Amino acid sequence: MTAGIPVVDSDAKARPSRPYRLAGPSWVVPVLLFLGFFFVIPLGANILRSLQTGQAATNGPLFYYIKLLTDAYYGGIIAETLKVAVISTVLCLIVGYPVAYFMVRFAGRWNTVIVFLLIAPLLTSIIMRTFGWRVLLARRGALTTLLFDWGIIPRPINLADEPFAVYLGLVHVLAPFMILSITAVLQKVDVRLEESARVLGASAFGTFFRITLPLSLDGIATGCILVFVVTCGSFLTMLLLGGGKVTTLSLLIYQQFNVAQDVGFAAAMGNLLLIIGLICLALQAKFLRRSGGKS
Amino acid sequence: MTLMGAMRASPPSTIGGASIGLPSAVSEHRTTTRGVPLQLLGISKSFGSVQALRPMTQTIEGGEMLALLGPSGCGKTTTLRIIAGFETPDHGSVVIGTHDVTELPPNKRGLGMVFQSYSLFPHMTVGENVAFGLKMRGVSAAERTTRVREMLALVRLTQHEDRQIHQLSGGQQQRIALARALVTNPSTLLLDEPLGALDKNLRERMQFELREIQHRLGITSILVTHDQEEALTMSNRVAVMSDGQVVQVGRPTDVYERPRNRFVAEFLGTANIVAGTVTAQAAERCWRVALAGEPGASALVQSDTPLAPGNTILLAVRPERIEIGPVVAGTMQALIQDVVFRGSYFAYELCVPGQDAPFFAYSQNRKDIPADRRVGLGWQPDNAIVLEDAP
Amino acid sequence: MTALATALPLRRRRRVRYGVIALALYVLLFLGFIAAPIVSVVAVSFSTASFIAFPIPGFSLRWYWRILEYRPFIDALIVSGQVAVLSTMFGTILGVPAALALARSRTTAAAIVSNLLLAPVTVPAIVLGLALLYFLSSLALGISFAALLIAHTVAGIPYIVRTVLSVYRSIPPDLEEAAAILGASRWQTLVHTTLPLVRPGVFAGGLFAILTSLDNLPLSFFFGSASTNTLPVVMLSYMENQFDPSIAAISTVQMLIAIVVLLIADRVYGIEKLTS
Ligand SMILES: Nc1ncnc2c1ncn2[C@@H]1O[C@H](COP(=O)(O)OP(=O)(O)OP(=O)(O)O)[C@@H](O)[C@H]1O
Ligand SMILES: [Mg+2]
Repeated sequence: MTAGIPVVDSDAKARPSRPYRLAGPSWVVPVLLFLGFFFVIPLGANILRSLQTGQAATNGPLFYYIKLLTDAYYGGIIAETLKVAVISTVLCLIVGYPVAYFMVRFAGRWNTVIVFLLIAPLLTSIIMRTFGWRVLLARRGALTTLLFDWGIIPRPINLADEPFAVYLGLVHVLAPFMILSITAVLQKVDVRLEESARVLGASAFGTFFRITLPLSLDGIATGCILVFVVTCGSFLTMLLLGGGKVTTLSLLIYQQFNVAQDVGFAAAMGNLLLIIGLICLALQAKFLRRSGGKS
Repeated sequence: MTLMGAMRASPPSTIGGASIGLPSAVSEHRTTTRGVPLQLLGISKSFGSVQALRPMTQTIEGGEMLALLGPSGCGKTTTLRIIAGFETPDHGSVVIGTHDVTELPPNKRGLGMVFQSYSLFPHMTVGENVAFGLKMRGVSAAERTTRVREMLALVRLTQHEDRQIHQLSGGQQQRIALARALVTNPSTLLLDEPLGALDKNLRERMQFELREIQHRLGITSILVTHDQEEALTMSNRVAVMSDGQVVQVGRPTDVYERPRNRFVAEFLGTANIVAGTVTAQAAERCWRVALAGEPGASALVQSDTPLAPGNTILLAVRPERIEIGPVVAGTMQALIQDVVFRGSYFAYELCVPGQDAPFFAYSQNRKDIPADRRVGLGWQPDNAIVLEDAP
Repeated sequence: MTALATALPLRRRRRVRYGVIALALYVLLFLGFIAAPIVSVVAVSFSTASFIAFPIPGFSLRWYWRILEYRPFIDALIVSGQVAVLSTMFGTILGVPAALALARSRTTAAAIVSNLLLAPVTVPAIVLGLALLYFLSSLALGISFAALLIAHTVAGIPYIVRTVLSVYRSIPPDLEEAAAILGASRWQTLVHTTLPLVRPGVFAGGLFAILTSLDNLPLSFFFGSASTNTLPVVMLSYMENQFDPSIAAISTVQMLIAIVVLLIADRVYGIEKLTS
């Protein structure tokens, strides 16, 4: 029936498949060794350290973790960390969403300009941006002076060194990330969906809350988790703008490291931070998978 | 001097006999017999549980163009990729000339290939694209320039040498891809749906152009296509594939006129299929067959192999071989459903009692027969093809 | 009838317009908010006053001279530059081949390895720094330039791998096959086809890695010593003692350096290609 008559012994062992590929698995080896040695092992050692050194050696492996979670002072700091992260995430979302919406729906060719202006601060150091808020908010800072001249505040006061300044600084650094996460998703939302909702008689607000917002949930989730995780990990803003009134876990690690060197405790605090981050990532993966399955 | 110098200086291709160095108008003397034969000896390939290619043995003569024709997923690309060396066959071997190349990497096989999407390097100019193969072989810059010019002349794009790829039209890109594949004097040219991305008119022009260049260079070629017209127009032989297997190989006319089975008959052109029972031998190599579905209707069928009376067989008749005439007792009858004017002929859609599928007949007669007319159908005995399938 | 049909959408469009104008004003305000601290730092850097005060009493380059004289700033700037460039180079050498190997592989192992290569960016820098410091100290590498370099390389790899992965995935594999069948060896294919094609990814990832490294205080401060302090570390410790415009001046200088890096990248490659 076929023209082809196999001339080889079909019982012979099949030749191993070697499809043409430029890069083979061996190309991964150097970076795997490097990261294995300088990333995986150090983090692993950090876990062991938190379980085995210092007071953990005498008082049981979970000593530091129990202390972190049950001690009133440290428990307060963990609560503060989560509070700051939640508030700054919500602020970024509220402040950023309208900007993202404007960029995708109305900005047109200005979109590139806005994107550029949002990314441009990356060229400056966080120290510069944080310092900038001190310049604006200090007793004789630009903003304070202006507010005083306009009679909004009765006398020049130091607005830096307040929790308010910390949130300002955090939103300033993180809102662009929130906005870009949202635009990435919003861009893919079909305008025609909104239009057809309007044609069907929905009000502008109804359309926004029933169509646009739900469809951009993916971007919101990505942005929120990003802002949350980064806030948990940052200490510079709290250090420079909090005036000692906002102490979070990362700031504590920084201070502990500088002052008292309790190695095991520092490691435990770091791991706790890491766990918070991992939980967030797991949430994100779960959320994205679920909404991905829906669409 | 340059030409002869170029010939002598060019390092020989890996595969013997392939380095004939005159791809320009000067090389008219090259004939179709100069190419190197290519043999596939029982090559097969599975991807996991998918048997993409069943053991396949096929010889492509030197200078011949063989078309691999078949529906999507039948293993054409897999065959070509095994020849190119992008995939290893599970069994069997690929022999070019006298060399077994099965274990050689693609860059050592001395082949030329035109990809469906052309795969021109977007970061190089037209000239750099064509020169690429020569550069990889260490051919000197001066000689590269000469050979690139020759190739560009061959595909009639000399003035485009410094253009960027994205400045070319689809047809021009296709020709550059061809020039790039030919500049190294490959032993065999592999074409994977080379014209698939072109619009119909351009495709037809390029079919002739490609054919002409292939002829002129006498290069052994394998053309993968699922376009039957392209296969028939361009190739010396057609191998019709189905389900990882070559079903039939032969000259285009043979495969078209004498399809082996229903699949080939229907894949290559249009075929009217009718079952029948052999009743008696009518003449030498000629049998009378009672047609199924219509009691009393019979037809004469020519066959080289004897047909046993009483056996049921499957017949195929090409639309252009069907003769439409007045209703005569004892022949096949039909009702004209629709008539379409196709320029050079009329196409009739016919409803034949007892047949599920409509019949088609193409008539060159100037005057058409109106729809709803009852007509009789007939054909010359040698125009009825006895298929191998059981009805 | 037709008049009504055309009038309706017109009215609606006008109402929407007001909303859009309000939204546009808000966006402008927001962009002002983003720019404000940066602009004020630049303004303060030119102040004559030795403390932060508005309005600025006068313009001078006094603070730029001050940072030139203050050795730690200049030393740290050099360290920062070296760390950023070298760590990005190492990250590229390690990350690009791996990304090329992983991009087209659909095995579970490849997915796991890809995630591992991207993981350092998800670990808070302060945790990574802490863990690395203790580990490297046990190797007698503790506070050293090498340790700093290793830390920044670990942090930079994800940026490079991520962009190269996505750029390489968008390149059709048959370009490399075309090169191979034309006689290019693996090495030649890499040099003449693959690398030129993934260059935008390498550039963008490298740029990100450099910018991040320059600003990575949480990672750097663990490895601080007189000879391994990066600029942010020195700036921070300076700020803890003094609050004068020299911080503004060095910040402005750092920003200018980043802009110059970007402009060079633009010259060499073209910004559009980087962002696309
Ligand atoms: N790399 C691969 N991995 C898994 N399966 C594959 C691979 N390449 C091909 N196949 C399978 O092998 C079979 C033959 O594929 P092939 O590409 O050769 O078909 P084709 O005749 O070229 O079809 P088309 O006309 O659509 O290009 C198909 O079922 C295809 O799904
Ligand atoms: Mg194919």
